[in-house]
Amino acid sequence: MDETAATTELVITRDFDAPREVVYRAFTDPDQLAAWFGPVGFTVPRATVDIDVRAGGHQRFTMVNDDDPSITSPVNSTFTEVIENELLVGTETMQGFPGLPDGTVMTARIEFHDLAAEGQPGKTRLVLRQGPFPEAIEGGAREGWGSSFSKLDALLAS
Amino acid sequence: MATDRLSEIFAALADPTRRAILARLSESDATVNELAEPFPISLPAISRHLKVLERAGLITRSRSAQWRSSSLNAEPLREATAWMERYRVFWDTNLDRLDAHLRRIQQPAANNQEPSERT
Repeated sequence: MDETAATTELVITRDFDAPREVVYRAFTDPDQLAAWFGPVGFTVPRATVDIDVRAGGHQRFTMVNDDDPSITSPVNSTFTEVIENELLVGTETMQGFPGLPDGTVMTARIEFHDLAAEGQPGKTRLVLRQGPFPEAIEGGAREGWGSSFSKLDALLAS
Repeated sequence: MATDRLSEIFAALADPTRRAILARLSESDATVNELAEPFPISLPAISRHLKVLERAGLITRSRSAQWRSSSLNAEPLREATAWMERYRVFWDTNLDRLDAHLRRIQQPAANNQEPSERT
């Protein structure tokens, strides 16, 4: 998928050599999430993970810097949509996040696609969409966004 | 960055007319009249859009009242995209770790340490 950084919704697609339920569980099982989540240099202590997988439920955990444990980054998102093994949608109200105004509502949508239909049984395509839109403008803002921005790409690159 | 800066930028960008104005200004500076040309809306309406864009720091307008022309200011857009880019890097490295994790738990030798069942 060819999405440039100049769109306002981040889209990341990645294929994994694991069945869909396994990939889904990596996001929803606290033990598993603690085992892998976080950027390099950070870990998620198992004790901080609290997940309630259902619409209206929550996903809470804290990323802790390996070198300096006083540097932490808490995540507290609310699931708005859950389809087991298929879809997780969560929103988070950002507070004290560098470069982001407090109160910004971020939406992360994670789709789990079974690649068996494409002749790759046992593999999963993960499609992650994350948007920084303030909630009020999220609905109408997507259409035409890409094309408007593509004209500005050259300028931004200059 | 001011507390509400990005919200203001995104709100300004949420309107199709304002995006079209920015696209036009990415080609060259323009007066209100020139900017209004492609749109079936009044000059005052265009002026209101320009005010929103100016407040968000997306354009600057010359002082001269008579030939007031607008020009694009790309810096806020750069801030918005730089912010997105940080998230992309975050997820890229994060999903590398997920990939490694999935390989680990699927290895037969790993003894399939299934985490306790949730209820």
